Amino acid sequence: MPTLRIALLTIRLVMRTKVALFFTFLFPLVFLFAYAGLIAHGNPSIVAYMFGPVVTLNIMGSGFWGLGMQSVMQRERGSLRRYRLAPIRPRTMLLSNLLANYLLQLPTIALLLFSAMIFFHMPMKIGWVTLWVLVTVGTFAFAGFGLTIASVANTMQEAQIYNNVAWVTLLFLSGVTFPLPVLPHWIQRLAMFFPSTYLVTTFQGAMAQAEPLLDHWMEMLVLVTSGVFGLLFAMKLFRWEKEERIPTKAKLWSGVLALPFLGMGLWMNTRANPTGMWARSYNLLGQGPAAASNPEAEKPNLIEDFDGIQASEELLRRWQVSTDSGAAGQSMAEISLLTPGAEGSKHAMRLKGHLAPGPKNGQGYVSAQCEVQVPANAKGLRGIEFEARGESRVYQVGYHPPNAAPSGSSTSAASASANAAALPFPAISFVPGEAWQNVRVPVAWLANPASHGLAAGPWVLEVVVTGPPGEFNLDLDEIRFY
Amino acid sequence: MASLEENSVLVSVQKLHKHYGDLAALRDVSFDILQGEVFGLLGPNGAGKTTTIEILEGLRQPDSGSVRVCGLDPAQESMTLKERIGAQLQSTVLPDKMRVDEALHLFAGFYRHSASVEMLLERFGLEAKRHTFFEKLSGGQKQRLALALALVNDPELVLLDEPTVGLDPQLRREIYTLVENLRGEGRTVLLTTHYIEEAERLCDRVAIIDQGQLVALGTPRELIARSGRGTRLEVRLAKPVGLDRLRLIEGVLDCHEAEGAYFLHAQPVTVTIAALVRFLESSDNALVDLHIARPSLEDIFVEMTGRRMEH
Repeated sequence: MPTLRIALLTIRLVMRTKVALFFTFLFPLVFLFAYAGLIAHGNPSIVAYMFGPVVTLNIMGSGFWGLGMQSVMQRERGSLRRYRLAPIRPRTMLLSNLLANYLLQLPTIALLLFSAMIFFHMPMKIGWVTLWVLVTVGTFAFAGFGLTIASVANTMQEAQIYNNVAWVTLLFLSGVTFPLPVLPHWIQRLAMFFPSTYLVTTFQGAMAQAEPLLDHWMEMLVLVTSGVFGLLFAMKLFRWEKEERIPTKAKLWSGVLALPFLGMGLWMNTRANPTGMWARSYNLLGQGPAAASNPEAEKPNLIEDFDGIQASEELLRRWQVSTDSGAAGQSMAEISLLTPGAEGSKHAMRLKGHLAPGPKNGQGYVSAQCEVQVPANAKGLRGIEFEARGESRVYQVGYHPPNAAPSGSSTSAASASANAAALPFPAISFVPGEAWQNVRVPVAWLANPASHGLAAGPWVLEVVVTGPPGEFNLDLDEIRFY
Repeated sequence: MASLEENSVLVSVQKLHKHYGDLAALRDVSFDILQGEVFGLLGPNGAGKTTTIEILEGLRQPDSGSVRVCGLDPAQESMTLKERIGAQLQSTVLPDKMRVDEALHLFAGFYRHSASVEMLLERFGLEAKRHTFFEKLSGGQKQRLALALALVNDPELVLLDEPTVGLDPQLRREIYTLVENLRGEGRTVLLTTHYIEEAERLCDRVAIIDQGQLVALGTPRELIARSGRGTRLEVRLAKPVGLDRLRLIEGVLDCHEAEGAYFLHAQPVTVTIAALVRFLESSDNALVDLHIARPSLEDIFVEMTGRRMEH
């Protein structure tokens, strides 16, 4: 079987080359110790969180700089020509390189894993099969990238340029170097288009929260699809000789490779919005392995998750619902306890009712509010976030001091709805979907944050339903500071 | 190994054309190679030899013309053809850290039928180097390994692209012996070269190719006999003499002077020598030195193209 023969010989050649050995085995360890030592400060939970980025970095490196550059180098050196004289097809060469890359990846990941467990006591929340699937899918996806770049690059220099652009972008904007939750919101939005984001966040979800892989099946599917596209593309454009050049027009076909990520990024940005999940994984940092058994410790900065509420009466004591009935309106609303809540939690809150035409400007008004206590370390908090789903209409959310109805600004600078009625406090608009999605209310997005920032003390979080008359239905859960 | 009858056509090339952009690499090239012969493609660098051999190997597609190798179309039946031919590139590059025996075992594994690796190592004098990395081999050893790789599938047709280029005379003679052995085994060999002596020594038939065109085809003896330039006489005289007077000597076709010697192309040579002696006696001159050389392929090339081969 030529594919296996070439792959095994390639592995043997790597084992004989000091530089290749360094970059295959030692270099990833350097990154592990750097991340675990300098960033995680040896904290086992943080090491677990950073393990995904380290593995992703390694997988990216082997795809771009290992497999991709090796393919170009073989062509440039002329060593492919000798193979061409034998009864061998391009797919044999590509698959053998792919296989060799994968077989070299497995011991490297094992080395990283055992080093992290032995030297940093990293907790192993992820199953072995899950880990293997993640490594396999990730390696395949980035191999597709490497092969695609090798296919479109006519020279080593060109390949290096393409590799560097892709490498640096993914390295700094997808959570491989800096955790996504600490990056600006627009970068998080942008990161939703990058394959390394899918791999890093899936790893982090699995390593930090023991999330099942099925929760990330779409990310996995997109990565596999991109790997298949990359391989097919490389087969199509395979060249044995360095003299054979690819016309620019043919290079443009490599854009097809971006389609799965474009679709995934759009879906994440508009529907899924995984930033809440990312933040949850990140918020677990520093809790340590012992904290894992303490459910409350896993929910830092929690305002309300409704899980401790036994009956709707208790809910009504915490939340107040008001309508336009005081101003001769006829809107109606009620809140109730919903079981189960978002993403497997016990309960959520449902705000349901009917919005009647308002007495003054033609729009009805319903609001639900609760008092929140901003903790003393409020300086580190950037806003409030929650999970929401419901009927697709515009809702508004904001917070203000108790018993205060500041005048002036009414809606958010970022996403105010044209239909929204003027509110006596700064608020932003959101439109929930059928599935749970994360909504953030950053201090910075609200008008005049200096006066309405998250200063320590009591605040009122208020959700407002307004707009065209009709039924409404909004579920809320996992309300927390971030 | 040989499935075709002796002297049957193993390679047929008809009206081959190939362009690289505006450059015509091959123009209307036609020739046949018979089973069991060593066939040489002789020409200077850039003449179209490598293009021809790569078309025969199935590595390049001709613009027009027909090619049959071992009864197969290289462009359409490349994978089947590769099982039956062995080829050595002008320059063979393998991974630096690949050992000699690994290379042979690897490539032997690609074919349905392969030769014994041990036998190849012995035959090409590579036994002592079997565990040596490719990067550590000398130029001659690399060339021998390339030839061994060309025979790893025990092919009926061997294509050698300038097998001695860049080698010193001793290594070149080693390669000559190896090619002669291939002929002894009854294999058909096509080799390209720009060394005249290589073509004269090794080839049963030679096609001279220049600027993409076939300018002569035949056995070296036939080509030389066909030459109109006659035998070359190198003459040194006691006193200088004008070239005009030498041209008047019976049988002299052409003459020129270089470095104190006169070069006469003559036919028939015996008549010219007798006439030269009479001329020298009558002009009170004397013969200091005389060399007689039969025409070479080099002469044929000059005659055909008006240019000398670039070595």
